[in-house]
Amino acid sequence: MFTATLRGMLAHKVRLVLTIASIALGVAFLAGTLVLTDTMRVAFDQLFGKVSAGTSAVVRTEAAYSQSEGISTSRAPIPAAVLKQVSAVDGVRAAEGSVSGYALLTDNSGKAVLTSGGAPTMGYSLAADPALRGDVKLLSGNAPTGPHQVAIDATSAEEHHIAVGSTIKVLFQGPAQDFTVVGTVGFGKEKNLGGTTGAYFDSSTAQRVLGAPGYFDAINVSANTGVQPTELVQRINAVLPDGAEAVTGATVVKESTDAINKDLKIVGILFLAFAGIALFVGAFIIWNTFTMTITQRSREIALLRAIGATRRQVNQSLIIEALLLGFLASAVGIALGLLVAKGLNLLMDAVGFALPSTTMQVQPRTIVVSLLVGTLVTVVAALVPAYRATKVLPVEALREAVPGSGNPSTKRVIAGVFVTGLGLAGLFTTLYADLSMRLFGPSLLAIIVGVLMLLPAAARPLASLIGVPLRLRGLPGELARQNAMRNPRRTSSTAAALMVGLTLVVSMGVFASSLKASFTDIVGDSTNAELFVTPSSKQAPGFSPEVIKVVEGVSGVDAVSASGYGQARFNGKDTSYSAVDPATASAGLNLRLSSGSVSDLGTNGVVVAKTAATTHGWKIGTVIPSEFAQTGKRNFRVVGIYDSKGWISDDYVISIAAQTAAAGRQLTASGLVTLVDGADKSTVQRAITDALAGHPDAKVLDRKGFEKEASGFIDQLLTFVTVMLLLAVVIALLGIVNTLVLSVYERTRELGLLRAVGMTRAQVRAMVRWESVVISLIGALAGAALGIGLGLGLSQALADEGIKSVSVPAIQVTLYVVLAAVAGVLAAVGPARSAAKVDVLKAVVAD
Amino acid sequence: MSATTIAPTTSAARAEGVSKFYGTGDATVIALKDVHVSLQAGQFTAIMGPSGSGKSTLLHMLAGLDRPTSGEVFLGDTRISSLNDKALTLLRRDQIGFIFQSFNLLPTMTAAENIVLPIRIAGRKPDQAWVQSIVDKLGLADRLSHRPTELSGGQQQRVAAARALASRPQIVFADEPTGALDSASGTELLTFLRKAVKELGQTVVMVTHDPTAASYADRVLFLADGHVVDEMFEPTADAVLDFMKHLGA
Repeated sequence: MFTATLRGMLAHKVRLVLTIASIALGVAFLAGTLVLTDTMRVAFDQLFGKVSAGTSAVVRTEAAYSQSEGISTSRAPIPAAVLKQVSAVDGVRAAEGSVSGYALLTDNSGKAVLTSGGAPTMGYSLAADPALRGDVKLLSGNAPTGPHQVAIDATSAEEHHIAVGSTIKVLFQGPAQDFTVVGTVGFGKEKNLGGTTGAYFDSSTAQRVLGAPGYFDAINVSANTGVQPTELVQRINAVLPDGAEAVTGATVVKESTDAINKDLKIVGILFLAFAGIALFVGAFIIWNTFTMTITQRSREIALLRAIGATRRQVNQSLIIEALLLGFLASAVGIALGLLVAKGLNLLMDAVGFALPSTTMQVQPRTIVVSLLVGTLVTVVAALVPAYRATKVLPVEALREAVPGSGNPSTKRVIAGVFVTGLGLAGLFTTLYADLSMRLFGPSLLAIIVGVLMLLPAAARPLASLIGVPLRLRGLPGELARQNAMRNPRRTSSTAAALMVGLTLVVSMGVFASSLKASFTDIVGDSTNAELFVTPSSKQAPGFSPEVIKVVEGVSGVDAVSASGYGQARFNGKDTSYSAVDPATASAGLNLRLSSGSVSDLGTNGVVVAKTAATTHGWKIGTVIPSEFAQTGKRNFRVVGIYDSKGWISDDYVISIAAQTAAAGRQLTASGLVTLVDGADKSTVQRAITDALAGHPDAKVLDRKGFEKEASGFIDQLLTFVTVMLLLAVVIALLGIVNTLVLSVYERTRELGLLRAVGMTRAQVRAMVRWESVVISLIGALAGAALGIGLGLGLSQALADEGIKSVSVPAIQVTLYVVLAAVAGVLAAVGPARSAAKVDVLKAVVAD
Repeated sequence: MSATTIAPTTSAARAEGVSKFYGTGDATVIALKDVHVSLQAGQFTAIMGPSGSGKSTLLHMLAGLDRPTSGEVFLGDTRISSLNDKALTLLRRDQIGFIFQSFNLLPTMTAAENIVLPIRIAGRKPDQAWVQSIVDKLGLADRLSHRPTELSGGQQQRVAAARALASRPQIVFADEPTGALDSASGTELLTFLRKAVKELGQTVVMVTHDPTAASYADRVLFLADGHVVDEMFEPTADAVLDFMKHLGA
């Protein structure tokens, strides 16, 4: 039996290649994701290890609570006086304070040196002791000394032609300042740190511009040779004041890697979800291929049964075929996965997130998991078709095989209606009965599964309907329509793969479109602003608070409502908060306070969102405990309740003064500008732009420009998700090719007859092509309909989060459907050609 | 080019020095060797011969389903051996009718749709009166809405015969049309073909190995080893059988 299986597989090379490709692509994505995340993890481990290679111990304040922001925990600064105590400890060779913080470089012409991909712009103190610099190396020039010198990362220097010796402006959370560039800095072999820009100062300058004079973020310690870090840490801890702690350098490295691993895990899960979708779609193709080949091979199977093969043997032979196929496809997929990892890496590089380089990490786990998953998916998809094969009776060997039409059973339709109904019921309950959102995901899944079950029953009427215009194409069109209708199960499972892909793509499109529409509404609804001051780069966290003062001074400007944000623990829960200036907030912001007043905020007042107030029973005067990582516990009194989440959507709004007191100086995120009566908007906008010439970290936009920028960001995200989902669509198209190839093979005699009685090759090609288009359109239309439904559901479900209007991108969806039809034409090219090449004689002469 | 060759008007199809080889070198199989035949218009011609004599190959050449290795084939005045695939396909569609031994019909179409298939492929409207008259002659009137799987073998062949005549072809080629039929159905079909020649003036060429089937023809060509060895006019089943014995079939 085994040899028969192998021979059978090799006899149909095209089928073999296509089925392998359909699984291999999904596995490639899976393996690629695993390789990439492993590589990133190892790279970061190495990076952190190198950066603090010479640091034996780190002295820092104890964190009020563990709250991670990026890769480091926010802590209160440590008084510089502690440095003396630490330096005096026996075994300490060198100890230096370190400070880091926001610093934005500008180039020779005063323009901001922006990063892409969300990499931060940072400033650091450069240690005097080379061991404490770790992997940070001066690539050219000298280390900065004194209040007017800076060294910058080599990438910024190269890309923006900033020469050593030139003078540039550097922007901080506080006042900007001019510095002379005295050197460029690299990290081992890298010229920047994961896309970050870096400005390096000597210790006291760093304290002044990045932190606060008299304070360090931490003190790094290098031990004398022979002194164990753990031993040293014990000794240092003995002399430290309350609230300070010493830990080993290794501990800090581990904390950093743990934090980054958490982020990488999220990236990994995201990519794995796309891999899962691709595998799911691939499984359809395997299912379909096995079902079709078993129909075509029923004579062969019947013959095997007639000469004594048991049902079990028939079943086993097919399972073995699936096993071999899955294994082979997975192996191919793993090889492709390396390319995928390289590609994703390049992609991240292209968007500016330069990963620290290291060799590709192909761990045994990656190979085992990929082989296992790929093989399992293939075998599971082949189980039902293999079981069906056992139903082939020995007598069928003697009959002329007429491929069955396979109408879907009533049972299946009923079950499909039931599952879909259940999903819809679940969806509507979550949306309109305010029940827990936990039902939302399973409801969506139930709807998709239900529709998949119903699709075979719908395939024939759908094909008939879609095929109506084909009648105009004459007989080839008519035959194409009939061929698409003759085996609804096959048509539907081929179309289903495309449907799943398109459902996801379209629902994301609808969601993004609703998001954009809502954003426009929010801007109109919750602000009174004419102009918007925003950071120059979308990814930048904000701009210097000085900018607000500059803009306020421009003639024609009535008021500028500044707002910022941050992370803290309120009422025992880690959350984000917003910060506004009570004096100007009501000018630009439309918070709609149902009680209280923003101007009462002071330094210990908080305005809370109505939803949160209702949930917790808060009223004016209620005291809410909070905790800030930098300064510890602090109580806020409720001075107002606001109704209109939108521009500001946090549950807690405090004053900027309170934020500065609790968390230190912070960047401003946005400024809403209102104008004096009679001022011309564009004149004022020009005036503000001119006034901001010395502040390259901020820019001013009118409402249109602002909305455009925001929707540009949404479009970018949508493009990314769509590209990832496109893989599933490509696999689905391979499935169409596969089905057509098998159908053409199955219909050799029909094709021969048609050619004999006068159908031209062009007509034969057209017939196959139109059949492909009908199948594609069934998948595309079903997917578009389902996708619109799910997208609207998703938008509706997030109405509380500010998605208040829904919108269907009709042009975009139409384009998808048209593209699917075009893709159907392309998928048919190969099969149509082989159909046109059918040997007339072989087909019509009885064998 | 074809117009330059003036063929006798009575010739519906002819082969001039047609040879057909399969394979190359030592493995070369000679199916036809230097065959000259002329098939008269308005006649029912049967081509007979033992297995491997080349009779089916000759039919395929004459019908434009296959190309000769050398020699010329004419359909009427058209030299079809030099036509490209497209021209040959259109010629089959418009001027030739086919009846094969089996798998004559498209399973997805009804009998009526199968009958007008070549006309529909050409994108033309069938001549309803003509089609109706053929359907009546064949006794298929109550079977028109059935699909092939719902028809008996004999009925299927009669549908195929109706299709072959529906587009008023110059010539109808039948390749062992009774090979898969019981004798009653076979007789019915042959009687119809005979009538088509006598009453409608249709030209029919049939390959068969059955002397009784051959006896319905006006003329029988005998093939052996790729040559035309003899012919017989107004044949009877017994005479044909005798001749075949003589050939050693």
